[in-house]
Amino acid sequence: MKIMTPHLGNTYLVTKAIFDSLGIDYIIPEFNSKKSLEIGSMHSPEDMCLPFKLMMGNYIQGIEQGADTIIITGSCGPCRYGEYCELQINTLKKLGHNLNFVVLDKPSAIGTKEFLNRISLISSNSKKTTVQKLNALRVGFKVLNLIDKIEAKAHYLAGYEKNKSECKILLNKCKSDAIKSTSPDEMIKILNYYYRKFNSIELSKEKKPIKIAIIGEIYTIIEPFSNLYIEDKLMDYGVSTKRRLTPSWWAKDSFMSVFGLNSLDMRRASNEYLPLYIGGHARECIGETVMATEEGFDGAIQIFPMGCMPEIVCKALLPTISKDKDFPILTLVVDEMTGEAGYITRIEAFLDLLERRKQNVLSRC
Amino acid sequence: MKVGIPKGLLNYKYSIFLEKFFSELGAEIITSPNTNKQILDEGVKHCVNEACLPIKIFHGHVASIKDKCDLMVIPRIMQIAENEFICPKFCGLPEMIVHSIPNMPKVTMAPIYATSKEKLYNWIISTGSMITNNKKRIKEAYYEALAEQSKFKAGIKNEGYKLNIVLIGHPYNVYDNFVNMNIVKKLNKLGIGIITEEFIDESSISDKTKELFKKPFWTFARTAYGASTYLVENKKINGVIYISSFACGIDSVVIDLIKEKIKDFPFLILKVDEHTGESGFDTRIEAFVDMLERKY
Repeated sequence: MKIMTPHLGNTYLVTKAIFDSLGIDYIIPEFNSKKSLEIGSMHSPEDMCLPFKLMMGNYIQGIEQGADTIIITGSCGPCRYGEYCELQINTLKKLGHNLNFVVLDKPSAIGTKEFLNRISLISSNSKKTTVQKLNALRVGFKVLNLIDKIEAKAHYLAGYEKNKSECKILLNKCKSDAIKSTSPDEMIKILNYYYRKFNSIELSKEKKPIKIAIIGEIYTIIEPFSNLYIEDKLMDYGVSTKRRLTPSWWAKDSFMSVFGLNSLDMRRASNEYLPLYIGGHARECIGETVMATEEGFDGAIQIFPMGCMPEIVCKALLPTISKDKDFPILTLVVDEMTGEAGYITRIEAFLDLLERRKQNVLSRC
Repeated sequence: MKVGIPKGLLNYKYSIFLEKFFSELGAEIITSPNTNKQILDEGVKHCVNEACLPIKIFHGHVASIKDKCDLMVIPRIMQIAENEFICPKFCGLPEMIVHSIPNMPKVTMAPIYATSKEKLYNWIISTGSMITNNKKRIKEAYYEALAEQSKFKAGIKNEGYKLNIVLIGHPYNVYDNFVNMNIVKKLNKLGIGIITEEFIDESSISDKTKELFKKPFWTFARTAYGASTYLVENKKINGVIYISSFACGIDSVVIDLIKEKIKDFPFLILKVDEHTGESGFDTRIEAFVDMLERKY
């Protein structure tokens, strides 16, 4: 049995940590690229959203490398993501691949028994004891937390660094070292080392960089290929960015939602504009925008795949928030046809606008 | 008080209920005209670009009557069956309208959970009390409206045609003659009888959806999939026509599921958006009918 999971930002490190400690064979598919998108779009319904197509690409590339079991998380609506598994199983079957498809839906939707059944499909392949298995999950969660913290730090400090690109280089080095690690414990050691290293980066406190909140659909903002590496680009420009939706946020949020205590801050912030959960992460998107205005950010960039239903609702609401709070928001819609040049032009124009507002260039004219 | 009821989205199914309920409460009902070019243009002007055609048209309906009424009914339909949804855009509809169209009158914001009479009553009370404080009167109006609605039977079933097709799609595409450019009349003229999903009983639909790995969590996805595959497998029809609005998230899934199931059975997908031209639309229907005639 060879397990694979589709890419989502840095979660491949977690996959590695968990299955290394469980002693189960796994593969990490090639990173998302033009090629995987091409393969994915070829085998996906035309109207489907970008995450579906990229995931299909991951599967097919993973299968070529020998994967025979795919794990994905599920959801039960109203956003399309919950229906992904059904279509993906069908498509892969049609292509003649014989696979195990493990869909981790919420226990409340499929019943606890079915949930445990699906979990045991994976865990029965491990020879470790139950305690060790639970420990593997703990290690995985620790890695997830650490890498998200490191990434958040790098993105935020990029605006303050004294030596240009130091944060970016350090972040990339951290990722490449972590994936080379031979055991989960070593990975945690490496991550901890880099986390400390970020604390000793030379900063110039007098700098006042532009601060941007990245909001929108969770997959497209986390998976760097799908948003054309917007966070790396902004780091190059010396812009501080903050993104609240991370895989570790998602994990904590799903866990807390069992008790109804999830994302209290975002719920409070979004109450005025969108008091109900409408699917996807629309309410979070609105909440984050309001919170960004409260925290003194200069602007926000919303990213979502073409046709994303919840984010379209958000897009209708954002101009009002923008007007009410005097807060610029740029919306970028991505799909497999997005051209990089036009995309960069829009980001640069937006940054120019923020810079001028900040320095009051116009008032001096 | 003047209550405005826009004739868009699921109004084709629930207009009787809403009109009866509000007129029983003593309100004057203002309905928008049937969808026309002007309404579409208004909708496109106000709505976010990325939204689908039915949502844009709904914006147009609202804009056409917003100055004539004191209260606008915008049904935020969350669920019409247990554990099922309609579409995220329905859940955020009042917000979309209020933030996109300027100078709106008061609107109904309460969510509708129409899974049972008791649950729907929550919406009835909160909306009814915007008009009158008399709880007894609201309750009476509610029961009157329910009785009226139960008499109403939606759906199309033509008899006596040699060739028959099932017309699948969201109700607001199937029953809005502007959006679908009178497809029912056109097909009848070409000698094709039509049946819609309302004439398939619930048990056959749920039998079909049980074959799926995961039960679809959208009400219209479930009925569309169940009805079409049931009719195809029992050889009750000669073809399937699906009217889908461009960029509809639900349709992108259901169409693929149906295709997967019925394999090479005649299946025509008509995509509609605000740029759809009628002649191209006609050509596709005629070609499909020609094909059916040759086949059978």
